[in-house]
Amino acid sequence: MPFTDQEILETVRMIELETLDIRTTTLGINLLDCADPDVESACEKIYAKITHHAGDLVAVANSISADYGIPIVNKRIATTPISLVAAASAQSNLVPFARAMDAAAKAVGVDFIGGFSAYVHKGYTNSDRALFESIPHALAETRHVCASVSLASSKAGINMDAVNHFSEIVLRTAAATRESGALGCAKLVCFCNAVEDNPFVAGAHIGIGEPETVLNVGVSGPGVVRSALARLGPDADLLAVAETIKRTSFKITRMGELVGREAARRLGTVFGIVDVSLAPTPAEGDSVSDILELIGVDRTGAPGTTAALAMLTDAVKKGGAMASSSVGGLSGAFIPVSEDSGMIRAAETGALSLAKLGEMTAVCSVGLDMVAVPGDTPASVIGGIIADQMAIGMVNHKTTAVRIIPVPGKGPGEKVEWGGLLGTAIVQDPGRFAAEVLRGRGGRIPAPLQSYKN
Amino acid sequence: MPRRFLTVEDLQRSNAREIFVDGDTLLTPQAEEWARAHGISIANGPKGYEPPRPDRGPDAERAARSLPHLPEPIDAEMGSGLVVSCAGRNRPGVLAEITTAVGKLNGNVLDISQKMVEGYFHLVLMVELPPGTSFAHVKQCLECLGGPDDYVVRVMHERVFRFMHRI
Repeated sequence: MPFTDQEILETVRMIELETLDIRTTTLGINLLDCADPDVESACEKIYAKITHHAGDLVAVANSISADYGIPIVNKRIATTPISLVAAASAQSNLVPFARAMDAAAKAVGVDFIGGFSAYVHKGYTNSDRALFESIPHALAETRHVCASVSLASSKAGINMDAVNHFSEIVLRTAAATRESGALGCAKLVCFCNAVEDNPFVAGAHIGIGEPETVLNVGVSGPGVVRSALARLGPDADLLAVAETIKRTSFKITRMGELVGREAARRLGTVFGIVDVSLAPTPAEGDSVSDILELIGVDRTGAPGTTAALAMLTDAVKKGGAMASSSVGGLSGAFIPVSEDSGMIRAAETGALSLAKLGEMTAVCSVGLDMVAVPGDTPASVIGGIIADQMAIGMVNHKTTAVRIIPVPGKGPGEKVEWGGLLGTAIVQDPGRFAAEVLRGRGGRIPAPLQSYKN
Repeated sequence: MPRRFLTVEDLQRSNAREIFVDGDTLLTPQAEEWARAHGISIANGPKGYEPPRPDRGPDAERAARSLPHLPEPIDAEMGSGLVVSCAGRNRPGVLAEITTAVGKLNGNVLDISQKMVEGYFHLVLMVELPPGTSFAHVKQCLECLGGPDDYVVRVMHERVFRFMHRI
């Protein structure tokens, strides 16, 4: 037999019991050729192009699932940042573009479409400003559209005017989606060093260096790593822990590589990247927090958490890099607080604070993700939180993101139930102090010395 | 004139009753409806208008050519094989049931391994399918064998195991 019983059992167990799956197959579609001075024509083209290219995405993903026996959970679309496509239309209201994207997503049967986006890390175009202003209504009106903005980069520094503006947009989005517990903010993220081939929402979009169409895959598998560490036991030393994570990540990534190759072949497009991210879900066991606790902290958020997370993220990348030559996207470990049963538990028991989450950002793959704060948090505090995260990304040459949700009518310690994949959040206390003067100064924090590499 | 899209605005501007466009021009659904409502005929070939194949861009062709050259993990001789794993309470006739089903689907059992632990069996079959067989159909037929209190069958493509366990 070409495989041992143990190998076969291991794979079957990963899928059946440890919730291993392909989290997303995301088709990137360039929309630059949809630009048109007439906004209705531009929206027509966007709808036509997305449905034309992604019409068979769901069928192809399902056929791969059936043919290989691998679950593919989500099918998604990423587009060129809409601020670039909409520039020719010279509109101040870009909500029609979001409606066109939403209708196209619905028509082809994907759950999310990312790309209602703008790059403003050094400054705004008129179109970028219009996109910012359109975000609250666009996210309130649509179901499938996700918005993202790039506010900073290691090369450009931090656009503090945009940070300030974005913090107001977050609050306005929360107000516009008040009935659903500010759910619009779950579809809104800002970045430092935005990744142009990210297949995961809310930040999915394709940058201007990407091909006409490209198929990116996001694998997951916190449950698999968790089980492997549980079998390893508490007596193994950290080298053994790192090695176990690395080997497991290798196997997970190989499955992503297989699906990516096959999906690109069947769609007749380019295979872009495998994003090797441990992406948790609220399902019991599918938790990054559980992994950290198995590595050895009493509760996620306790001292030692950042060290454990650093090792986890690094080992995941090392295993992934050996398994595929196309590792990209965010690749690492996500720590979305409301989507991870272990994180929810840690927040409930007070082990996990906003400050600790900020620290963990320095070593995880993204940053403050799905963090709820009180609905009356001032824009200056949200702006300060975002600026801190952007600074960590800028100085460390890594991607950092903030997906923060000011929940109207909720105070620190209260619980918010969003249900489904978005889970349950415990509202975090952002403290009593703000940074009004910093906010009032505006302007740009210059790029750090480390970025002058030419 | 070559154009990527034909929109309602294009139709309104042109006044023509008959419009012939390039083979790869994409007619927007709104323009198609507008043309129908206003009795305008649009064609990109002898049979009227047919949506073009999606143009995946200049990199797609090279990508399609290079995909078969990407190294696959070793042990590739099996081709369209599948791995059938079954587990459940042991009773007379289980193996016969499964292999009969495989046989009816024209599957050729290449290898078989069975282990018993305290009245429970675990069985792994390596099965080769004739070219052109629908994997999804075979998977469906085999996975409906057994039952919740009897045994369960899982069918996966052998390529999954090669990718996961071989370099």
